Amino acid sequence: MVVGVSDMKVSNDLESVLITYSLGSCIGIAVYDPVVKVGGLLHFMLPESELDPVKAQHNPCMFADTGIPLLYKSAYMLGAKKQRMRVIVVGGAKIIDQKGFFNIGKRNHMAVRKIFWKNNVVIDYEDVGGNVNRTIRLETCSGQAWVKVSGKSEIKI
Amino acid sequence: MIDLKVIIGNIGKLKPLPQVANRIMELAADPKSSLAELSEVISYDQALTANLLRVCNSTYFGLSRQIESIHQAVLILGMDQVVDLILLSGAAENLKNVEKGYDLSKGDLWRYSVASAILARDIAERKGIRNNHMIFTAALLKDIGKAVLADCVAESFEQINRLVTEQGMSFREAEKQAIGIDHAELGAMIALKWKFSPKMVAIIKNHHPAVDASYDYDLETCIIHLADILCMTMGIGVGADGLAYRFNQEMMAKLGFSERNLFEIIAAFGEKLQQVEELISLS
Repeated sequence: MVVGVSDMKVSNDLESVLITYSLGSCIGIAVYDPVVKVGGLLHFMLPESELDPVKAQHNPCMFADTGIPLLYKSAYMLGAKKQRMRVIVVGGAKIIDQKGFFNIGKRNHMAVRKIFWKNNVVIDYEDVGGNVNRTIRLETCSGQAWVKVSGKSEIKI
Repeated sequence: MIDLKVIIGNIGKLKPLPQVANRIMELAADPKSSLAELSEVISYDQALTANLLRVCNSTYFGLSRQIESIHQAVLILGMDQVVDLILLSGAAENLKNVEKGYDLSKGDLWRYSVASAILARDIAERKGIRNNHMIFTAALLKDIGKAVLADCVAESFEQINRLVTEQGMSFREAEKQAIGIDHAELGAMIALKWKFSPKMVAIIKNHHPAVDASYDYDLETCIIHLADILCMTMGIGVGADGLAYRFNQEMMAKLGFSERNLFEIIAAFGEKLQQVEELISLS
């Protein structure tokens, strides 16, 4: 199942593999509950829905603060429990020489941290920042995830 | 070191923009030309006509009725949209099959180029510049040099990658160091050979900062730089070069956008991404 930009998929189908390609400054969040074997993957673009509430309503997965709650709610609906969920965060890269201005990757990362901190969620694995783009893949039957940085081979995490 | 003459010679292997595209750009720039004249020029080219009708009827435009002739397409979509679509269809072949070197999946450079062109048009409109086919075309073709350089990048990839990761060079700077020429310079040579305007040649050469140290960044170049960076940021059709390019504060200052403006541009583009993908797959 391909998760597009500003998109999310949740599944408990043991055959399914969730994948999102080419995360630049966007962030991909993969969650997995090993007990009920529920996996979810979100690919959001921007930190805060306050930018455009109409767009956020139409497409909540565009923003961190509307996409992350939706990811969790969708996983709960398939029986996942927050305390059992493993969390992986990847993406949030930047262009060279941004020097703080328009560092959307960093803003996205900070938004994730803030939301998780408020909700007592611990991130299990993080691969964030740099000047690279990343692809993440999550297998629903095992919860195994892989990250591929372009130009390099895939890493099992 | 790879022989530069051989690389430059490979420009000849590209399929140049069809002549009709140059003629159409001329017509579009001429205030005296008529829609009827434009329709006529297009309809002489059967393949172009067929392709254009297919794209016009895609969900990208979401028209309620079927377009059956070029004349109708020009009337309903307007001359400017039609001109941009013709430029797209003329450029497609060279950009669709670049894979190795830049570690792209099939069609990625094409996705990147079309997305950049549409974004550049959106940004230009925000700056009050409408219907500027030069901006659209320059954004579309700015990475044409990659189509020729890809094999060399594949050969020198380890060295390029080391220069980027260990010495903090941008991917373009590393290409230059490892191969002796970079994709922007090569792109400018292609544009020159295809008889593009001097301005377009200069934009293609300088869409990444500092190829010509003395280059005076005009608004058009700044718009294309921003479109390029936003596409990279959004990860649309990005390859092994990833986000390893330089951000230019001076160019950004010229555009005068706030961070919030940039987020708005991204959100607006993100919202129509599905339709853009449809256009990419059809053209």
